[in-house]
Amino acid sequence: MATLKELSKREELLAGGHRLCAGCGASIVVRQILLAAGRNVVVSCATGCLEVSTSIYPYTSWRVPFIHSAFENSAATVCGVEAMYQSLKRRGKLPVDEEIKFIAFGGDGGTYDIGLQSLSGGLERGHDFLYVCYDNGAYMNTGIQRSSSTPLGADTTTSPVGKVIPGKQQYRKDLTDIVEAHHIPYLAQASPHNWKDLTHKVEKALSIKGPKFLNVIAPCHRGWRAGVNQTIELARLAVETCFWPLYEVEDGKLTINYKPREKKPIIEWIKLQGRFSHLLKPENEHILRRLQEGIDAKWESLLRREGEK
Amino acid sequence: MPSAAMITTPKKSNKILMAGNKAIAEGAILAGCRYYFGYPITPQNEIPAHMAKRMPQVGGCFVQAESELAAINMVFGAAAVGVRCMTSSSSPGISLMQEGISYLAGAELPAVIVNICRGGPGLGNISGSQGDYFQATRGGGHGDYRTIVLGPASVQEMYDLTFAAFDLADYYRIPVMILADGVLGQMMEPVVLDPDRRSRSDLPEKNWALTGAKNRPPRVIKSLYMGEGELEEHNLRLDKKYRKIQSQEVRYEEYWVDDANLLLVAYGSSARISKAAVNMARKRGIALGLFRPISLYPFPSAALAARAVKIGRVLTVEMNTGQMIEDVRLAVNGSCQTFFYGRPGGGVFDHEEIFQYCLRLMGQA
Repeated sequence: MATLKELSKREELLAGGHRLCAGCGASIVVRQILLAAGRNVVVSCATGCLEVSTSIYPYTSWRVPFIHSAFENSAATVCGVEAMYQSLKRRGKLPVDEEIKFIAFGGDGGTYDIGLQSLSGGLERGHDFLYVCYDNGAYMNTGIQRSSSTPLGADTTTSPVGKVIPGKQQYRKDLTDIVEAHHIPYLAQASPHNWKDLTHKVEKALSIKGPKFLNVIAPCHRGWRAGVNQTIELARLAVETCFWPLYEVEDGKLTINYKPREKKPIIEWIKLQGRFSHLLKPENEHILRRLQEGIDAKWESLLRREGEK
Repeated sequence: MPSAAMITTPKKSNKILMAGNKAIAEGAILAGCRYYFGYPITPQNEIPAHMAKRMPQVGGCFVQAESELAAINMVFGAAAVGVRCMTSSSSPGISLMQEGISYLAGAELPAVIVNICRGGPGLGNISGSQGDYFQATRGGGHGDYRTIVLGPASVQEMYDLTFAAFDLADYYRIPVMILADGVLGQMMEPVVLDPDRRSRSDLPEKNWALTGAKNRPPRVIKSLYMGEGELEEHNLRLDKKYRKIQSQEVRYEEYWVDDANLLLVAYGSSARISKAAVNMARKRGIALGLFRPISLYPFPSAALAARAVKIGRVLTVEMNTGQMIEDVRLAVNGSCQTFFYGRPGGGVFDHEEIFQYCLRLMGQA
């Protein structure tokens, strides 16, 4: 596993000068992943902030081969590319020992919602690829519409806070659980504030044959309505509050990679974000409570599952 | 404390400043649309955002689907029970909806679909474009079908035509598309709201809607016809309906056409710009005129041909590489000269550019 010193000497594979916002969580996530992955990767990317901001023709930020086709099919596209490479190897047109890795990126809209079908298909067929969801909890590229990853109670343009309805009415979908149900060899949740955990997970994932999945929280200060300089702090607090547990499932065995010494209440994370500001009002305390209950239940179930023989 | 009668409030003007996308949403609400299904895509996000706020206020239902495929099939479901419903999207999303639109047409379900067109093909860009004319007017999806297509050219028309679209959809049991673009969707203009507007009085009863079969025989809505000759019969019946629409639902506007010696033909955004070019020409004593199709299907072929044959020269102006020009050529059927001026891929011309091109055509440049 690479050390910080080693990583710092590697070439950045997502070049600066892209049009992502200052303080964007997604770009930090992608840079860390590519540092860990190295040059021998082919990247596919769903439509979204990451894609539109890094590949404005004739410019590209990608120092690795990059392919984008549409919104709903990052996984399908990378599966096609991977199948082609495998075929070239079989036909002797590529050296058999040439180690090429395939990484698909998608945001939560392109993964939890419209891209779920193509992700599920790729995982089930067993293509050799790593799917990375950078999860910022809404459709940020189109102007902050709710997604099935948007947390309960959050204010978005399509789950607006009004006098009667206080933001999103539903819990977020647990995509990591859905992926786990495909019984793939490796999947994990990670966060950019813990670079070591994230880069190690990437290295481990890419050393395994078959489909792998990483769900990485990627704070978006525009959509979350927080400070430009709070990205890493928000990622850390998401983990410290257990909103975003860092864990991995390798061949069915679950390991929690980080256990907060003292689990912080969710309000510590909520109060930094404008999208939740209405939850601080006394009349919305019940939503905060529901949110906390959901987080507690998930955390308890992870602890239980880790302890199982 | 004064009594209620004593308080005189100035009569509120119904003229307000509004963006095109919002006007579409308000036109739909006025028409009684209470079911909106959508999915994010630029440059139409103001429609779902506005509907997310307004639907609960009017006792309606806003659902953000997980994809455009889901949204259009939610429309199918709502239309089947006989309620007024709509979806909106932009070009790539409308492509994803084509299967559902074909099913709506096949099952003869009324619904309104809004396409705030952007530059294509593929991901394209988010500029105003008229690249989806073929897709909209030729059916778009699979099978031998048509949808009514209306092309507003102002924010007022976005409001008015959306209202009209619901009536047309119900009257003919057909999906109706509003075809505009990002320029119109995002622009702010004064709109006169007409809260007293009522639907046409001759709308047929929805005696096909799936409203529960208690005390009546069950109804079936389908687009599957497997029996010998059934599908042919179904298609011929659809064709009869389309012919009726062609004869009765043509809409267009003529501007400075009587003495024109070059006729511009344009719809939507490009018609606005063409109109400015006509104004510019008229100030200089140059006789340009404009024919603006408002219904793109049915295309106002007969009216255009009648006008074009008198003028002798027709210039079609589009924000694409030439799509509506095919309808123009079919309409005039060789009876006059046809020219084309277009900018594709989100390129938008200005009136000066069109004016100069007209001068060249007329040998005056």
